[in-house]
Amino acid sequence: MIKKPGYLLLAALLGAGVISLYLFVGNPNANIIVQIRLPRLILTLYTGMVLAVIGSVYQLMLANPLAEPYILGISSGSAFGAILLGVLGLGLLMPLGGFLGALVTLFLVWSLARKKGSFDRSRLLISGVIAGMFFAAAISLLMYLFQKDTMIILGTLMGNLGHVFTVSEWHGFLALVLVSLLLLVFLYFKSTALDIMSGGDIYAGSVGIDVVRTRKLIFLASSVLIGITVAYAGIIGFVGLIIPHIVRFFLPSGQKRIFLASLFCGAIFLTLCDLVAKNIAVIELPVGVVTAALGCPFFMWLLLRK
Amino acid sequence: MRKLFLLIAVLAACLTGCGKAGQKDTGPRYVVLSPEIAEILAEIGTAGNIVGVTEECTYPPELKSIARIGKFGSVNKESVIALKPDVIFTTALEQDALTEELSKLGLRVEQFYPKSLSELLSTIRRIGEITGFEERANSLADSLSRQIELIREDSIGKTKPRVYIEIYRDPLMSVSDRSFVGELIETAGGDNIFNTLERDYARIDAEDVIAARPDLIICYSQDTLKGILSRKGWQDIPAIRNKRVYFEADLDPDLILRASPRCVLGMLKLQELYAKTVAE
Repeated sequence: MIKKPGYLLLAALLGAGVISLYLFVGNPNANIIVQIRLPRLILTLYTGMVLAVIGSVYQLMLANPLAEPYILGISSGSAFGAILLGVLGLGLLMPLGGFLGALVTLFLVWSLARKKGSFDRSRLLISGVIAGMFFAAAISLLMYLFQKDTMIILGTLMGNLGHVFTVSEWHGFLALVLVSLLLLVFLYFKSTALDIMSGGDIYAGSVGIDVVRTRKLIFLASSVLIGITVAYAGIIGFVGLIIPHIVRFFLPSGQKRIFLASLFCGAIFLTLCDLVAKNIAVIELPVGVVTAALGCPFFMWLLLRK
Repeated sequence: MRKLFLLIAVLAACLTGCGKAGQKDTGPRYVVLSPEIAEILAEIGTAGNIVGVTEECTYPPELKSIARIGKFGSVNKESVIALKPDVIFTTALEQDALTEELSKLGLRVEQFYPKSLSELLSTIRRIGEITGFEERANSLADSLSRQIELIREDSIGKTKPRVYIEIYRDPLMSVSDRSFVGELIETAGGDNIFNTLERDYARIDAEDVIAARPDLIICYSQDTLKGILSRKGWQDIPAIRNKRVYFEADLDPDLILRASPRCVLGMLKLQELYAKTVAE
């Protein structure tokens, strides 16, 4: 690995470069930079960091390299809630629908996963997957019934970082971001416990970790975070699955460091993808398509090299 | 004054043109899956031969008593066949596959998807040939053509307000000049802010709306006046500053989004809104 300070400096420069391009490309006026691009940048950075961080947490907690933020069904429930209100003609309330959908799914998965006080990881995984499948089917049904609103549905399912905020909605969103940062700090401080739990529940219990409680708290905190991202940005695939793996190429172990690196890389990667999505073609491409199109070749290259 | 005459002419055409529904015992039987074609058929006086329509076919009101055979995008094929139609009228996009399937069954299917005013006129004439109502259809097309010309002449030399029409809010979507509604906006004397988009209806960026500074906004995206006035970063747009934002209640979307004879009414209404905007 490259010397650490040099490595960090390079990452910081890259991040600063992407962000300034994002804000200033195309010579916009001050109003557009401050009122449109900055909010979109904040939403993008936020979404990218949440997805990548939760991906890294889930992969460890569920001991499954295929785990990603959407695997426990919260995203499908949230997308279903948002889409339902959208097709019913309540477009303004779509984020609210997203929260409610996430909340309902959270309770559903919670009660399915809990059995006689246990909350073990395979049961949680299966509960989440089955709840996710159920809501995915419900979304397909809505798609079939409300064909003329396909754009609303695809906007949610393929990711849309261009959410139009009203002034009051923006303040609400900033408050949610602040709460989310606290939740992220909480998840960060669970990193060591997660590292230990990856050695098995019995082992973790023997060193004094309340495994069930830790897992429940992580599930709750991460579900709230995912609910917020889906409510405002829709479902954006790939970031949460692959960014943590890319990070692990450089930092093989130590969840604390992986957490911080995922946070940074997820945020910058998604910003880069949105920059491409907005500027590569005459029409704006769905960002969920760009994440995979850009990220997959890079990941393949890494696989071949290492 | 000329506008008033036009309005009366169009209304008169609408009233006299509508045939009587329910006389289905004689003559050919039509199933109509597109609201636009249903309006044209009724206008040339063949509503009495329509035996089945989709739920979206709501104008003229006499169509409401006719059997429904599903929704625009999900038509019940068995119900269509059960009605023993002589001709089935379909449109493009969602109905492309259906058109092919019904044709394969040996049924006579006529597909129309007028994308411009000139295509609307030729569609009307062609429907006249198919139904044997050539005379009515041709005179309708001729009169529409004259009215469109008057509207075009009327707008010459006037200030063109810049118009933004919003179809969806999340994600933001608008129309290009090449779409039917885009052509109506321009013909009526406005300037649609997105003259070149990749497709007729496409995703757009809020930045581009703000930079284009529209004088008038037509909002069909379920938003409210309060909501649109408080959008972050939109405050400098002249239409927002002057509250020139119009909704379904101000301008019936069917008048400008459907390629039907009523589009003339839609353009007259647009000119009214333009005049209010420019007067400021």
